[in-house]
Amino acid sequence: MKRRSLLAAGLGGAAALGWPRPGRSQSKPFDGMVLHLASVNDQYSPGLKALSARFKQETGITVLVDILGYGELQTKITTDYVGHTKGYDLATTDNVWAPQFAEAGYTVPLNDWMKRDAEAMKLDDIYPVLFTALGNYKGKQVAFPLAGYANVLAYRKDLYATARLQPPQTMQDLVANAYKLTDKSRNQYGWVANGQKGAACAQDWMQYLAEIGGVLVAKDQPTLDAPLNIQSLQTYKDLFQKAAPPGAVNWDWDGREASFRSGLAANMQTWSVGALGYFDPAQSKVTDSAALMVTPTAAGMKPRYGIGGWGIAINADIEDQRKQAAWTYIKWITSPEIHIALNQLNACSFLRRSELQDASLNRKYPFLPVIDESFTHGDADFRPRVPQYPEIQDILGTAVNSALVGAMTPAAALAAAQTQALRYF
Amino acid sequence: MAAPAIIHVTIFAVYPILRGAGFSLFRMNLMQPWLHRFVGLRNYTDALSDPAIRHSLAVTLMFTASCVAMELALGLCLALLLWTDNRFNRVATILMLVPITVTPIVVGLIFRALLDPSFGLIGYWLTWAHLAPPQGLLGDTHTALMTMMAVDVWEWAPLAALILLAGLKSLPADSLDAAAIDGAGPVAKLGRIILPMMLPSIFLVLVLRVTDVFRTYDIVFAATGGGPGDSTNLLMLDAVKQGLQFFDIGYGSAISILMTLAIAILAGVIILALRGLDRRYNTL
Repeated sequence: MKRRSLLAAGLGGAAALGWPRPGRSQSKPFDGMVLHLASVNDQYSPGLKALSARFKQETGITVLVDILGYGELQTKITTDYVGHTKGYDLATTDNVWAPQFAEAGYTVPLNDWMKRDAEAMKLDDIYPVLFTALGNYKGKQVAFPLAGYANVLAYRKDLYATARLQPPQTMQDLVANAYKLTDKSRNQYGWVANGQKGAACAQDWMQYLAEIGGVLVAKDQPTLDAPLNIQSLQTYKDLFQKAAPPGAVNWDWDGREASFRSGLAANMQTWSVGALGYFDPAQSKVTDSAALMVTPTAAGMKPRYGIGGWGIAINADIEDQRKQAAWTYIKWITSPEIHIALNQLNACSFLRRSELQDASLNRKYPFLPVIDESFTHGDADFRPRVPQYPEIQDILGTAVNSALVGAMTPAAALAAAQTQALRYF
Repeated sequence: MAAPAIIHVTIFAVYPILRGAGFSLFRMNLMQPWLHRFVGLRNYTDALSDPAIRHSLAVTLMFTASCVAMELALGLCLALLLWTDNRFNRVATILMLVPITVTPIVVGLIFRALLDPSFGLIGYWLTWAHLAPPQGLLGDTHTALMTMMAVDVWEWAPLAALILLAGLKSLPADSLDAAAIDGAGPVAKLGRIILPMMLPSIFLVLVLRVTDVFRTYDIVFAATGGGPGDSTNLLMLDAVKQGLQFFDIGYGSAISILMTLAIAILAGVIILALRGLDRRYNTL
């Protein structure tokens, strides 16, 4: 009796600690295991939490989703990896972190498992650019694509119609339209972008730069002050001064999105993940007049649509059995059926061709053909995928903002940025 | 008796500082663990020769000096106004606590929203009346730092006022009565009796605020992110960025240790200055 009690207590303790129970069925080899997932606080994260119960029902694995802010997530998982504390088994991973994680060996390379399970996972249904963009560095897949976002142009159909303008086919059209659609006397502006110092303005300018053919890193060296980059920053600054709402130089994503949803701006390049909000009357005043299209590129240039989003990675420190369970979760959450279910929960984060053809999702998201076109011709490298990316982004965050507010000329700002960037290469 | 306090300070203050000082002597980037090595004072020389860090230090010193001076002056005025014990002053004293109770990061977010020239309750009208630049007070390099100083003063001048009010209330009434009998006017009483006797309270305000303002992070991070340009980029933003964004623990620790030294020097200057004043008044 005493021995049986001890055994029961031991098994109970083991289950509580996340170890699989002995005698588990073959269909549920990880029954009783508890996995910890750190997720960024983005559109898809409530869906991850909501679907955990279904995953437990099907596999016996409990996934505890910890939803964190961007900076908090980065700090927590990095310190977890560095300290080998095994706090998280899985973590959502920003595409720009992949090079650093790959070099440091902090997350499990998934290439072999992907090769083994390719057919079962229907990997050829996932847009190839998402593998590159969301977790691949020099051939090593250190995160699996979880949530793909396309950079798109959100614009106002009504303002274009009133001004008898066609939606822009090139970047030159977009710039010209932005000026034509600006009427400050009516508090109407032709264009808006992030202007706030830091990641906000750096990321938006990088997208703009990519669309006119600019390059920030070539042959493993920074080229921040290349003539085309300076020219593009000058045009960007002019747009801010003549066609953007007052205060845009201090806006990050929230301010920029709010300005479009409130009807202040006629054009905005943005991530597709927030697009559902434009058509929601509770958040938007432009539900009937907002539209999305692929981002234009400079005349004569091949389409170059920016791709971003999140991958999901497995902590390299955890035990093999937990890695297997974590891989089971990744396969499940990115499977065609479950990823559609995730998007039914407003994730607005896409991966698969079949998903973008799904009738129910097309009813919910009227802009899926734009995402399909963007993913098909997507560019994973509009933000340089190099280990020095965080430093480059920070340096550009100051340089671009300095130019926008007139503290420095675009040439001087980018020259200073280039000098700083060289220290990291 | 003092053992618990000593243990607490050792664990939560001395040990982290020593550990940070140790880290600062290494090249230690958590993203490049294979490159960790001892570099001596290299992180310090890098920091001191970096124009961006030197600029942040200058901005931090200007921000600290201006905020503390304004908070002390405004706090003293408020304390003198609230000195008389009546119902109105008691209510006003309680209301003064409101800004102090708001978390600094929330203060930053609130003022960023209020001062926005497109959506902000204050910013829109200021821009409309041409009292603020078109891009708003926080979007212009000439006004952003002053605006951040005003926000800091709004939040923390009441604390200075409360400390100084406590000092005023503890002044011996007979000294003031004697001065009045001798015919001293309000200005003479303030300059010759009240201020000299309040030196301990003034010292407390100065040391508390200098150490706190020098380490300002939340308000500026939330309101401007250190911009526009680098006009509000304080040293603490650089330290946090190096440590928690780039994970360069060695370099971030060196900046933190430099900040600790700067704060210690400033506190030392305040102590020496007030000790000199104290001696001067006692010999008068």
